[in-house]
Amino acid sequence: MTLAIETRDLSKTYRLGFWMNKRVLALQNLTLSVEPGQVYGLLGPNGAGKSTTIKVLMNLVQATSGTARLFGHAPESKEARRNVGFLPENPAPYEYLTGEEFVRLAGQLVGLSGQELDQRVKEVLGAVGMSRTAGLQIRRYSKGMVQRIGLAQAIVGKPRLLILDEPTSGLDPVGRREIRDLILQERERGTTVLFCTHIIPDVEALCTRVAVLVNGKLAREGSVQELLTTQVPVVEISVEGMAAEAVRNLGHPLEQVQDLSNRLLVRAKDAHVQPLLKSVLDAGGRVTKLQPARFSLEDLFLQAMSEAKHGTVGGEISS
Amino acid sequence: MMRPFLALTFNGFREARRNRVTVVVGAFAFGLLVASSLLTNLSISTFDRVLTDVGLGIMSIVLVLLAVFLSSGMLSREIERKTLFLIVSKPISRSQFLIARFAGNMLTLAVLLLAMGVLFFIQIGIYGTLFTEAQFVAIGMLFFELLILSSVGFVMSSFSSQMVSATVTIGAYFAGHLGGDIYEMSRKAEEPFLQLLGKAVYYVLPNLSRLNYRVQATYEIPTPMSELLPSILYAVSYSAVLIVLASFIFSRRDFK
Repeated sequence: MTLAIETRDLSKTYRLGFWMNKRVLALQNLTLSVEPGQVYGLLGPNGAGKSTTIKVLMNLVQATSGTARLFGHAPESKEARRNVGFLPENPAPYEYLTGEEFVRLAGQLVGLSGQELDQRVKEVLGAVGMSRTAGLQIRRYSKGMVQRIGLAQAIVGKPRLLILDEPTSGLDPVGRREIRDLILQERERGTTVLFCTHIIPDVEALCTRVAVLVNGKLAREGSVQELLTTQVPVVEISVEGMAAEAVRNLGHPLEQVQDLSNRLLVRAKDAHVQPLLKSVLDAGGRVTKLQPARFSLEDLFLQAMSEAKHGTVGGEISS
Repeated sequence: MMRPFLALTFNGFREARRNRVTVVVGAFAFGLLVASSLLTNLSISTFDRVLTDVGLGIMSIVLVLLAVFLSSGMLSREIERKTLFLIVSKPISRSQFLIARFAGNMLTLAVLLLAMGVLFFIQIGIYGTLFTEAQFVAIGMLFFELLILSSVGFVMSSFSSQMVSATVTIGAYFAGHLGGDIYEMSRKAEEPFLQLLGKAVYYVLPNLSRLNYRVQATYEIPTPMSELLPSILYAVSYSAVLIVLASFIFSRRDFK
């Protein structure tokens, strides 16, 4: 089976400064495989290398080393881009065109013409909710409308792979929901989707598989289910009648102690809960609630961040 | 193959049409052509010469400025505003994108040149002076001058900002019209190195003076086809080399 996206030891170093002597290691030895039909999320803080990965795949920047393939083709070949729809972060369509004209131009560039083009333009403008305003010049559009036109131009050629960089950024909750529904529709159609974001609920709602990038390196990779269930179970305990400091001084390893005015929310690993409960009760505290904590993608994301050696944002810098 | 190319070319023309600067420059040219009619009222003996000289001169200045503005900013603006992200991610090569944008640029200039040419001949007709072959030649050859200037602007625009591209293109325009003088000066130099340098500069710089037939138009001197064809060939070849160079640079650029 040909993979939709495949990268092997992909690295990108940007050279900066007047003498080009500063090097930013934007991406370091990234190896990813995205199978056809998957919705794959790239998660990471600003400067983690998400956009650089996408730009290498779209041939906007050239990798310093390693290889990338889209359906088996190198990114620089036209064949690779024939099956791909791309929405960059903050898309900038030609402002002097109307929304319809721009989507039509995008359709022509992917080889559509005649009635097929007319029909497809109409369809995608309807799908992104822009039928009514498609005749206005793009310079009059709000950010959300530009984002929708960006998505329309990406799907006009019925691509087998959609690469979306922050597709829901700048949208109101309704707009976000609509874009998410559209991505789900594409998934139903069998389209492979790779998208990067830092909006974690979007990833949880859409992705079958996730990669977390930190400082240009792959920190976690797997299916959402896999990543969340392999974590050590954590229990949340509500404690009343004790100060946060007193709970910390009990001498048990704790994940987190949160002071919520009239009670404490204590998180501890399952193995440490029994002795912790005993100590709390012995110290005069009252346990009002005990429940397993749900380990979310957000927790995973923060965990990966804290495990990374460098807490800086924007890739590693060397000279 | 050709359909995406043509779509981009005509889109370039549409961009210029919707760009207010083009409209302003067009109106400006029209105003100046009208002003030239007023000027001719002041001259007594060389009425038709002044009419041709002023008309073609204004046409040349306006179109040269427009060519510099359009070509020097085209790629750099696309890169700066990131509009090209949505275009070069489509199944077209970067060279195809660049050549289509260049073709759109030249189409815009050709249409404006044609429109100004029509205005010029209407003016000639109104004043009852003669249409000469030399006037048509001067207008036609102006297109090839614009072709070279636009190519210079495109090469610069493929790796530098609009300001730098425009400055270099304007410099190339003046240097290109002084090419003959540079050659003469190098011949008179005593140092062999300076002679060599002068000749090298002469051959590298575009020789725009060989495409300038406005003086011939003013004095109604016909130019044989045997002289025009090599000039046209020179302009097309020079431009082709620059576009290949621009394409080479542009294809290897990172768009961060």
